[in-house]
Amino acid sequence: MNAIIVLLLAALGIGVGYFLYARNIDRNIVQPNPDKATPAKMYMDGVDFTPASRNVLFGYQFKSVAALAPLTGPVIAVQWGWLPALLWILLGVFFIGWAQDYGAMIMGVRREGETMGALSYKLISPRARTILMIFIYFYLLLIMGAFGNAVGKVLMTNPKVPFGIIAVVLMGMLAGQMTYKYRQDIILTSIVTVVLTFVGIWISTLPFMSNLFSAIYGLPESPKILLGNTQAQVIGTLLMIIFCYLGAVLPIWSFAQPVNYVSFWIVTLGMVGGVIGLLIWHPGMGDFPAVTQFTTASGPLWPMLFVTIACGAISGWHSLVSTSGTARQLEKETDALPVGGGAMFLEGAFAIIAFLTATVAFGGWQGYQDAGGAGAALAVFAGGLAQFLNRIGVPLVFGTAYGSVFLTIMAVTIMQLVVRFMRVASAELIGDSVPVMKNIHVGSIVALLLTLLFVWVIPWLAIWGAFGGANQLMAGLALLLIALWLMSEGRSHNWAFYPAIFMIVTDLAALLYIAYTNLLVKLPAAATGQAALAAALVGIICLVLVVAALVLIWDGWQAIQRTRAVKPAKA
Amino acid sequence: MSASRPRTLEQIETILRKTLRTLGEVIYGMTVYDWVHELNSARNEQERLFSLIVYGDLLGIPILPPYYTLRLLPYLVPTLENWRRSMLRERDFTDIINQEVG
Repeated sequence: MNAIIVLLLAALGIGVGYFLYARNIDRNIVQPNPDKATPAKMYMDGVDFTPASRNVLFGYQFKSVAALAPLTGPVIAVQWGWLPALLWILLGVFFIGWAQDYGAMIMGVRREGETMGALSYKLISPRARTILMIFIYFYLLLIMGAFGNAVGKVLMTNPKVPFGIIAVVLMGMLAGQMTYKYRQDIILTSIVTVVLTFVGIWISTLPFMSNLFSAIYGLPESPKILLGNTQAQVIGTLLMIIFCYLGAVLPIWSFAQPVNYVSFWIVTLGMVGGVIGLLIWHPGMGDFPAVTQFTTASGPLWPMLFVTIACGAISGWHSLVSTSGTARQLEKETDALPVGGGAMFLEGAFAIIAFLTATVAFGGWQGYQDAGGAGAALAVFAGGLAQFLNRIGVPLVFGTAYGSVFLTIMAVTIMQLVVRFMRVASAELIGDSVPVMKNIHVGSIVALLLTLLFVWVIPWLAIWGAFGGANQLMAGLALLLIALWLMSEGRSHNWAFYPAIFMIVTDLAALLYIAYTNLLVKLPAAATGQAALAAALVGIICLVLVVAALVLIWDGWQAIQRTRAVKPAKA
Repeated sequence: MSASRPRTLEQIETILRKTLRTLGEVIYGMTVYDWVHELNSARNEQERLFSLIVYGDLLGIPILPPYYTLRLLPYLVPTLENWRRSMLRERDFTDIINQEVG
């Protein structure tokens, strides 16, 4: 199939999904009232509640939800063939993804800006909030493991990448200085820092710089020095850890945000250039099979495909972002659909571009395998993007380094935020019994040590499946919460309830499958202590998540019975 | 004919202006909005803290009202209700999550 046909199909799915299905639910079931005061207006305090225009919030919401998973998941999922991956992206976002983002957002608006923690406490049960917190902590740990693995053990080991990353960080700090200290115009700041970052990426590809990092890494045959990891992997991981630590402990406006700002332009320019190159080139999929086999290295198509592509089709974390971030800034109730639903549909398009980097950029199945396949998804994406950029005149060598820096910086900007979240979560979970965990440095160091353990011990694909399962299960639970809220208001709830059932059943099956393969297949067959530890860790975390989810589902079911027992009062 | 052409041009210009403004707002939302929002939050938190020091007694914190309480009271009145709600609102970990991490 040609790339243009895929893009047209995606545009059709998104158009019909947004303008017919989503708008119908918005107008006829939720019935937003543009004249009703939103929490942003009622409780404006300049800290949590601040009204902003619909267009600004659309950009903000999209930037907030579009992270690395929509670029990675589709590249891994095409191992089952292009058809299942494409169908799940299109149908997932059509029936489930937007419904969760929009539902969580409008629920937050109607419930006075309450976040998922407070909502689960009030709508499900008091213990639901604690369980949600445990769930979130393990989820964050899995993200750190998955992204840390991809960045520290794959992308950073390329000697043409590290200087580019250092350039982004330095330019981010310069952007902060130019803004706060020298009070320069943001346009001038952007031009100077972005241009210098590109120069830095170019310098990182020059022989003298890559030779320097090759020497540091001990290349060409980097020796194994720690837990089976090469010198390049260990140094690459440590560089990443230092960056995450700084991002987690320094004030967010002084380090993380300026770096994220510069990164945004690097990523956006790459994506725009890639899409233009793709449209000019518009290649076909060659011999890429529609369906390969039911069971691949990641497991059976059901349920594993549905957790492999998380963001891009549906992501549970969006429900947290939609309630605590955007719902408190909506000026009007009617803005929830274009902001929440619209941003999610656009993220589906983002995932389609990633899908095309794997399926069309390398000429077919063999090209995909040669580029690294599912096991090196980020490298495949970087290579695919370089092929697209090459069609608009960007040399392949620069394009590949740029693609790697692009992905690395995307991952590490997310990871520094994850460490920040982890230290707050651990302080809240055990801070009263272990007061030292309330210290920001201790909380961050504990989170980073756990990350190192995951990165150096557990293989990438094993973590990715567990991460996807946890994320998608959270989506199922969020949809259940939305359905409960709709029931309590006496509104039709099937559009949220049936997707909730599908997601919960599928994701419980996925987590149980991962637990089974790790604890009962890989663990007994493990040849080394490290392999045994990896299997045990992944298996036990999956079981903990399953138990936590079952308790939440039980409490949720009882909440449904309670809601049905009382006569609903239509809002 | 000649009268309708300028009107059409005006309409096109209006549409173009609207499109450019929308695009500008979306790009602003994607780029510096969260930065600006964070800085405003940091500044307002400082002000909230200052109000707490001066008007802690309004929240039941036994701080003896100083001389400045009365002098500053007129400036606080418009924001008093939201300030109290903001200070007394129950918070948990999910309050800080405003960014996708997957």
